[in-house]
Amino acid sequence: MKLVLAGAVDPWTRSVATVHRFAKWGKALGHEVAVYGPANPEMPQLPTTLDTSDADLVLFLVQVPQDIPDMPGLALMMDRLPRNRRVVVDLWGRFNETVRVDHDFNHLEKFDGHPDWEWKQAMTALGGSIVQPTLTPRRADVGSFLFHGFDPDAVVGSYASAKEAAEAWLDPKRSVHRPYGVVYVGSNWQRWTQVRAFLEGYRKAADSIGQVCLAGWDWSERPGWAVEMGIAGVDTDIELLADLRVEVRMGVRFDRVVPLLGQGRFAPVIHRPVFKELGLVTNRTFETFEADTVPVLMLPRDFVKTIYGAAALRLVPGNDIAAHLEGLLADPVGTWEAVLDTRAHLARHHSIKKRFDDLERLAGVIGRVKAAS
Amino acid sequence: MNILFVMKHRGNAGSTHAVANYMRLAPHFGHEIAIFGTPIWYIPELRFSMDIEDFDRVVYLFETDLYELLPMHQAIMLGHFERDKRLIVDTDGMYHELVELGGYDFNHESEADRRKWIAYMDALGDTVVHTLMGRSRFPKAQALPFFGYDPELEIDPVAAPGKTWDILHLGHNWWRWQEVEQELLPAFHAIRERVGRIGFIGLWWDQPPEEGPDAGPCDAFLADPYTFKRLRIETPPAVNYNDVIKTMSTARINILTQRPLLRHLKHLTLKYFEVFNADTIPLLMLDDDHAVEVYGPAAKELTLPGRAPEKIIDVLENEDRYREIVADVRAHIRIAHSYEERARELFATLENLGAPQT
Repeated sequence: MKLVLAGAVDPWTRSVATVHRFAKWGKALGHEVAVYGPANPEMPQLPTTLDTSDADLVLFLVQVPQDIPDMPGLALMMDRLPRNRRVVVDLWGRFNETVRVDHDFNHLEKFDGHPDWEWKQAMTALGGSIVQPTLTPRRADVGSFLFHGFDPDAVVGSYASAKEAAEAWLDPKRSVHRPYGVVYVGSNWQRWTQVRAFLEGYRKAADSIGQVCLAGWDWSERPGWAVEMGIAGVDTDIELLADLRVEVRMGVRFDRVVPLLGQGRFAPVIHRPVFKELGLVTNRTFETFEADTVPVLMLPRDFVKTIYGAAALRLVPGNDIAAHLEGLLADPVGTWEAVLDTRAHLARHHSIKKRFDDLERLAGVIGRVKAAS
Repeated sequence: MNILFVMKHRGNAGSTHAVANYMRLAPHFGHEIAIFGTPIWYIPELRFSMDIEDFDRVVYLFETDLYELLPMHQAIMLGHFERDKRLIVDTDGMYHELVELGGYDFNHESEADRRKWIAYMDALGDTVVHTLMGRSRFPKAQALPFFGYDPELEIDPVAAPGKTWDILHLGHNWWRWQEVEQELLPAFHAIRERVGRIGFIGLWWDQPPEEGPDAGPCDAFLADPYTFKRLRIETPPAVNYNDVIKTMSTARINILTQRPLLRHLKHLTLKYFEVFNADTIPLLMLDDDHAVEVYGPAAKELTLPGRAPEKIIDVLENEDRYREIVADVRAHIRIAHSYEERARELFATLENLGAPQT
């Protein structure tokens, strides 16, 4: 299958890591995968193409308006490829009625100028089918395709047993490589409320577990554009961060995320409020389990059980964050059993190979490709 | 047909006025026209719409800028209008071979730039028209005059505003300087004491664009405000499209210049016709044969190249005779270039999109 991924791939943000996994695994599985656009010297390992004429499938990866390709490529794809070979992967749940949770929206016209009907019309025009990375799409005309996935080969620190993993996790000799108690990598877009709750809960355990590192855009101050546009949900509290000695870093390039996560004992997984509402998964949903760390799943328990498997429930905190993390530290082998079991679950059910299987079934291309070969 | 124009929103541009004419005439032919976008407060008579699904034909009108829609809007357009429902109007000769004129005017800065335009337009649709009579020099393009004459806009001399100018030039300083400097300024210099007020109304005669180099090539905006001042040439600000004819009518003479590229390609512009709507004597910086082709034989008396000082003085001293010549030209263009005819041509082109070319 020749698969073209069309979207604004930026090495610092959004779904760039998943796109790289598709390129890597596609090649290994005998597919030809390329990103639509000119070659990008910042990501030399990513195959690109401007020729979509013989694509078996184009996936429009839509998150923000800039993900829709420019002319003339847009017209070449829309006019020359039949609709059944064009699929829109609606990664942020735009193809829904407007959903608001706290300050978070799936359509924020004030920010990008596009009301909900434009998103719907554009997506309907772009593809013959629309899928979302949730197991529970709200609309009957939207399919489920999680897109993001887990790469077992990318796991850092493949331990033979939970005991070995636990020893490595707590080994004081390795503390130089693991200077933080907690590392969170993600930008401050609709996440502050949850991050704040995590930090305040963590306060009691901070001295015993270690410093927090917060890496991503706009944590150190509320950005000027948010102030000017009156957009909430991009808040921060410098005094709180200073009080907790939180180390704030700028955004991290996609290929440095997993190593950075591994520099902390724990790594929270936090989804935007709208994503939690719509059950949308993200790259970080899976990628965090590739890092040499213990994920803390700040997610609804039923979602965790469904996506990660029952073992992962142990990694979901209750109301007391500090007590939860101290409990995990007190039982390191049990903790790592949960992590390793979850990794195994993800490898079975959410590998990129599985995503290719889903994609072929979804698009109905297997038969056509086989018939043509 | 419900026809949607996709174009840059400029209240002071000729294309806007042409589309306003089509908009006005369309209901007589059973059609409706709107411009894609939201209303502009200072031209409330223009109809705008964002409801793409209400339309069944789209006309992409390109001037010198590659006017690009937001990708989301473009996707909706492309999804709604099949290729044989899209017409591309190239007013400025961009869908062409590389044309470069005497080291001054050009349609593209480079072959790479030209290829980008051609690829864009080829991707967008199958039918590209150039705004000219006869045939386009570029084999892949068709000719569609597009700009026309609306007799209803003729200014009655009795009701015309008083003449406050002897000579006006109404148009932006966009690739006009070479012609102005080489032909008009020497003429004005020679006859300045015999002529009253002279004005150049439009953008960029007294200062370059505020946008700086982003506005386009520097040569396009060449000007010499000092010489203008020395020759007592005034430069009032630009006027909106619906004030053009009225403003022209405040002058005894209006001089029509055309950007060298468009003159070379024989593209029509709206100004070709607006200047004959006005209560004025138009003098044309056009080649004789092209003037005759467009305006009929009488227009030969109105051309300026090579004889500007004498012609201007002759007009000022023999206004009645020239008014008769202008009347002859009007009689010609009322028939040959009426907007009814233009509308018929445009609507026929839109009806026949996708049909094999003969």
